[in-house]
Amino acid sequence: MVASETAYPTREIEHMNTPESRHPAELGNGRTALLEARGLSKNYGATRALDSLDLAIAPGEVYCLLGPNGAGKTTTINLFLGFVAPTSGQALIAGLDVSTHDRETKQRIAYIPEQVMLYRNLSGLENLEYFAALGGKGALTPARLTDILVEAGLERSAVDQRVSEYSKGMRQKVGIAIAIAKEADALLLDEPTSGLDPQASNEFSELIERLKDRGVAVLMATHDLFRAKETGTRVGIMRYGRLVTELGTEEIGHADLERIYLKHMHD
Amino acid sequence: MRHIVRKEFTDVLRDGRFRWCAILVGALLLVSLGHGWAQARSAQQEHAAAQATARDHWESQGEKNPHSAAHYGIYAFKPRLALSFVDEGVDPYTGTSVWLEAHRQNDFLLRPAQDATAAQRIGALTAAQVLQHLVPLLIILLTFGALAGERERGTLRQLLATGIGRRELAVGKALGIAGALALLLVPAALVGAAALVVGSPGPAASPLARGVVLAGVYLAYFTAFLALSLAVSAWARSARTALVILLGVWVVNGLVAPRVAVDLSKWLHPTPSALEFARNVEREMASGVEDISRPDRAALTERLLAEHGVERVEDLPVNEVGVYLQESEEFGNRIFDRNYGALWDTFERQGVVHEALAVVAPLLAVRTLSMGLAGTDVEQHRHFATAAEAYRRDLMRRMNGDLAENSRTGDTYLAGPELWEETPPLEYAAPTLGWVLGNRILSILVLGTWLVGAVLAAAARVRRAEVG
Repeated sequence: MVASETAYPTREIEHMNTPESRHPAELGNGRTALLEARGLSKNYGATRALDSLDLAIAPGEVYCLLGPNGAGKTTTINLFLGFVAPTSGQALIAGLDVSTHDRETKQRIAYIPEQVMLYRNLSGLENLEYFAALGGKGALTPARLTDILVEAGLERSAVDQRVSEYSKGMRQKVGIAIAIAKEADALLLDEPTSGLDPQASNEFSELIERLKDRGVAVLMATHDLFRAKETGTRVGIMRYGRLVTELGTEEIGHADLERIYLKHMHD
Repeated sequence: MRHIVRKEFTDVLRDGRFRWCAILVGALLLVSLGHGWAQARSAQQEHAAAQATARDHWESQGEKNPHSAAHYGIYAFKPRLALSFVDEGVDPYTGTSVWLEAHRQNDFLLRPAQDATAAQRIGALTAAQVLQHLVPLLIILLTFGALAGERERGTLRQLLATGIGRRELAVGKALGIAGALALLLVPAALVGAAALVVGSPGPAASPLARGVVLAGVYLAYFTAFLALSLAVSAWARSARTALVILLGVWVVNGLVAPRVAVDLSKWLHPTPSALEFARNVEREMASGVEDISRPDRAALTERLLAEHGVERVEDLPVNEVGVYLQESEEFGNRIFDRNYGALWDTFERQGVVHEALAVVAPLLAVRTLSMGLAGTDVEQHRHFATAAEAYRRDLMRRMNGDLAENSRTGDTYLAGPELWEETPPLEYAAPTLGWVLGNRILSILVLGTWLVGAVLAAAARVRRAEVG
């Protein structure tokens, strides 16, 4: 069906409405999924925004969802965040259904949107302190929070500046710091490098790499094929709400990924 | 929760717009409290001095016929209760003094100021005006973006992604905003309490209890506004939409509804003009009405002669003139009761319309309760007017009785200072707090409904608030 003429290990996705077709048990190596979608679907009125998504992401894995606007990437993130209710199927975090365990599941995850929005009247440190406290890390000292901001790439001199003076890149770093401070098991990223300059994007990728090494499961929705290849361990290509193919990034090159992606877009 | 409260509180305090608005509202509140207190104190002192002078004049009349003394009359002054400095209510429109004289029940109510426009009412700066109009506006300005603004900025997604619930977030925000408002209102409340405790004007009438209930009424009003603003902020698609809707609510509540309430209540329960009323009383006094007839002097004379078994009025043991004057008073009293009773009842029905209309504008309930607790509403004006009229009637009975019993028909009788001194001064006991609240059950119920309804609406809207 898809990329069949390539020699690369892509997994064609059959849509048979069988949520059990992809189960954490299939991850192998004794690993269990931290983020899992089982036959996950979402309709907005007559529009099928997400169609029977089956997905399982293990600790230390970075799964990049690629696809054009409207492919269902952000809907997938929103379903994992519990911001919208699924029409059918389940979004599971650490085995818990998001729909029925809102608070517990959110305590396990961190979220970084395309544009990290912060409180302009507060400093970067105060923003981090606030979000960390809401995430259950209210005991972190200002010194420790400052270290986290620096670890996330913010200049030490900037931590006490009001966020109204921050660039987008600096705000994204505060977003990363919020995720680090929370010590989340899983990270949901929605176009996190959009609008960042190449250096800031590289720094961002390095941070994701470090979180991956700590065993964090990452689900990243992105348009950036290069970043997906560099950062991801697996890539899923979505179109019209469907996950149409899935491939491991170690087995393919940048050009192959681009070719496969474009082929799906033109099918 | 405490992190949300603290952050919201910090955010509000750092907002320059809040600082300026709070300084302005706080200054107006303190100035109006201070001005109201000084004015109430000054008025009370003037009333006390005038009352003493009036009494002195009464007792210094020298020798004169008791009926002449009845015409000489005496002034009575409505005491200003301790909380009248917060809300002067209808006092500026009804007046606070009445001249008590023979044959006439002089009016408080029938004055041109009763027809004062809403604009004139708003023009008077009192603490009540600031609390009823400006504090809700400040609440709106602080709250309209609470959830709509978070959604618009994109921070709502990040907040909810941390694991906090929508309700927890909304309650935290409400408490943070309430904390910032408390910085403004608590000092004002302390100033008000100090004014009550230190040299408060007016008779007791449980001023502290009234003050506590008044504070509770305003707290309920502000809480209802805060909850309503949160509900709209959770529902509206943008902060701007929320602001426009809430400003609309504020205009209807504070400007439109009071005017409509006045017009509608007058339309449903019309009252005569002061001139019409006076002419009607005059006409009935001249000729009586169907079941109230003027006393017949000749019939009275015949009755007295028969009762005492004499043939000439000069032989009567009482002065027939004194008896006749008292019968004329009784006749006049029945005419006054008939006319003033109907007028007061109409005012009462108009008041019920105001209270009922509070279902669309909580200000109307708060205003009614505020005036009631301050002792400046129509009902407490009626309470004093009734007491003053009862005193007048007793005074006339004493004068006419003295004339009837201590002289004979045809005598030239003069009473001395003993009679004037024996006549007790008007001792007025203001209504109790229970009496005031009992009269205001409807307003209490409507305000309570607003409070509960707004909180429930906020809870429902917040629970369903879109993340954006």
